[in-house]
Amino acid sequence: MFQNSGLSLDQAPPISVVLRFFLAGSLWGIVAGIWLLAQGATALDPSAPQALILTHMLTLGVMLSFMLGALFQMLPVLAGIALKDPVQLAIRSQYPILFGTILLLVAFADPSTPLFALALLLLGIGILPVALRMLGRLYRITDHSPSSRGMGFSLYNLLLLVLIGAWMAGMLGGWINRGDLLALRNLHAGLGLLGWIALLIVSVSFQVIEMFYVTPPYPKNYARWMPALLTGLLSLDFVAALNLPAAMPWIEGLVAASLFTHALLTLHRLYRKERPLNDATVWFWRLGMVALALAMLLWIAGSLTELSPVVDRILAVLYTAFALSVLFAMSYKIVPFLTWFHLNAQGYFTAPMMHEVIHPKTALRHLAIHLATLFVALVAAFNDALWPLVGAMLVLSFSWLAVAIYRAWHLYLHVQRTGERFDFGGS
Amino acid sequence: MQISNYLTHEHRSCDSIFAEAEKAAAAGEWEKAEKSFLDFANETLKHFKKEEEELFPAFEAKTGSTEGPTQVMRFEHEQVRGLIGKMAEAVEKKDRDAYLSLAESMMILLQQHNMKEEQMLYAMCDRVLPPDEKSDLVEKMEKVEL
Repeated sequence: MFQNSGLSLDQAPPISVVLRFFLAGSLWGIVAGIWLLAQGATALDPSAPQALILTHMLTLGVMLSFMLGALFQMLPVLAGIALKDPVQLAIRSQYPILFGTILLLVAFADPSTPLFALALLLLGIGILPVALRMLGRLYRITDHSPSSRGMGFSLYNLLLLVLIGAWMAGMLGGWINRGDLLALRNLHAGLGLLGWIALLIVSVSFQVIEMFYVTPPYPKNYARWMPALLTGLLSLDFVAALNLPAAMPWIEGLVAASLFTHALLTLHRLYRKERPLNDATVWFWRLGMVALALAMLLWIAGSLTELSPVVDRILAVLYTAFALSVLFAMSYKIVPFLTWFHLNAQGYFTAPMMHEVIHPKTALRHLAIHLATLFVALVAAFNDALWPLVGAMLVLSFSWLAVAIYRAWHLYLHVQRTGERFDFGGS
Repeated sequence: MQISNYLTHEHRSCDSIFAEAEKAAAAGEWEKAEKSFLDFANETLKHFKKEEEELFPAFEAKTGSTEGPTQVMRFEHEQVRGLIGKMAEAVEKKDRDAYLSLAESMMILLQQHNMKEEQMLYAMCDRVLPPDEKSDLVEKMEKVEL
């Protein structure tokens, strides 16, 4: 019966599946920082390939890696979806994505049709099988939570976004003639930033905020309909991009308004949390939601009127701060928990407690680095000379996380090698 | 939704008591922390007993599955029991750092477990069990004592 309905309550996938993606994401963050350090303000000029490269380092490199790691971990818990052979599946998607991303970045710098084609092929091989499998399993679920529904929509938007990316590459390569390249570019960005990344974070917050911090629940109907509404609006955006590009700013303005609402609702929930803790993860969430609210206000302003380049940069900084803050918040919960959880489940008496895996002070110091980076980035919006410094700080920020993840992994293996273990009787 | 509503409500009330205990421990008010922690432990263990002695057998009888989800849930109950023991030691020793660190593991472990139950197991129970049986079951669970 459980097989038939696609349900399983199996345990989480091996810890290596999650950590390999988180570590790869952190390394991409370091690479993005080095790029910004080397290129300076050029990496933020929307008409320069350097900006395209930076954006894709942060999205395909950082965000996609963390998303896949988190989904492998969360789908069994949230939706009873345990993917078969998770280690194989993870490896078979991670390497094509890695090489596909590198080739795409090279193709942006030195456009060549075969390079674009090869990059897209590899990205397709890396992303499509795992995303389609997750989406297919999510589609068959009968008892959806707002989180699982939202993750499904977010994955759907990711697939659409990849297809539009391929379409644009086709136009650049001269194979496809239909479509307005600028409108498609806006759609690609809108779907990626709002429909994929923001919706993914919204979906995660539906579950994580209430449960980890013991807060009042999100309004039921809001949580139920928000992901569908957002995706519906973005689908309209898709139609508009092909037929009526002038309508796009209005539609995206509405999407931004709903995300602004989500940020306020989340901040309110955190304000009313019952748990006393004010650890780094709570502050990362608060910071992320404030950044999202401000970014969405600017996005709405931008859909009504032309923004100056400075405001555009502030918007980019705030949006990035939003996504990275939540990503850091999740990492500092998930990594120590999984280290303890797997060792404990394997029967090791010496399984380290969460605070021994990553001490709260380590996370707090990262918060300070992150805040300082955000501050300098906001000032840099007015003073181009500061961008290399922002890049250097980004390197420090992601190195901090990478070291924490590496040490957790190292500790895990150390306990497995040396720890005393309860014998489950051959199991 | 009878089963879901009844047991999900218990999860939330355990969460609140847990938060109270944690608040007291963080503030170094150990007497209060001990009392709230005991409440939390008792309520949680009673909730587990209701599931293990009433809900799971009813579900297993209906679906013919004793090795599937209920087995995993029983295993996770054991993990929680283990952590309750360690937290009790920390309360006794008034060890704030150990308590807060264990509390963090406990919270995520419990929430992970609760999510699986709420999203899947309870929903399945509500679907496969006939209404009369569900009312009986809730009545029986009400009577469970530690």
